[in-house]
Amino acid sequence: MPERKVIATLRSLCERDIQFVLVGGLAAVLNGAPVDTYDVDVVHSREPANIERLLSFLQEIDAVFRIQPERRLRPTASHLAGGGHLNLITSLGPIDLLGTIGPGLSFSDLLPLSHEMAISEGMRIRVLNLETLISIKEQLASEKDLAVLPILRQTLRELKKSRSV
Amino acid sequence: MDSSANTDDRAPLPDYSEDGVDLSLIRWSISLTPLERLQFLEDRINEILAIRELNART
Repeated sequence: MPERKVIATLRSLCERDIQFVLVGGLAAVLNGAPVDTYDVDVVHSREPANIERLLSFLQEIDAVFRIQPERRLRPTASHLAGGGHLNLITSLGPIDLLGTIGPGLSFSDLLPLSHEMAISEGMRIRVLNLETLISIKEQLASEKDLAVLPILRQTLRELKKSRSV
Repeated sequence: MDSSANTDDRAPLPDYSEDGVDLSLIRWSISLTPLERLQFLEDRINEILAIRELNART
């Protein structure tokens, strides 16, 4: 089984100037929540130039849809331009590209609900706020989302306490 | 002098929330830098996957 390369995935997205907001489990982790996750969930800008850069990157990392991977169905520009969810497997591990999340929130909707985080030298990524992540999971209310909510809420409380000290 | 206030200041923080969440783990995670959080997660995922693969073969 190939190694999951979470950091390399994020670095590659930054290096190619691909515009995205990191959401899902990795956003929770970067906000300090001790949760496990296996994939990289991003809401990408659906501007044509960004889609072009993203598509080129996906070809480079041999991205195919995770459902029926043996058919090796590749995402296209029209897939990326839609508001749906593309669940992909790549040479760097699983990546979910989301046109929108929650109640139809797009990349531009998420900009004021996210913050830029410095990960390392030259690597800055936009990460969804913990408050918004909690709110979206409350709205989705699936078993998977409800299970992680207590950890996210307590992380938010601990962060607020640590900031007030 | 209010001695009860001093006692409260020295009281250890609870390890668990009322709903059973491990607060000590959250405080540890918050103490890491974003890169350290990602590195820990990546290492852990890869270790778990390696163990699963090993056991699938045996």
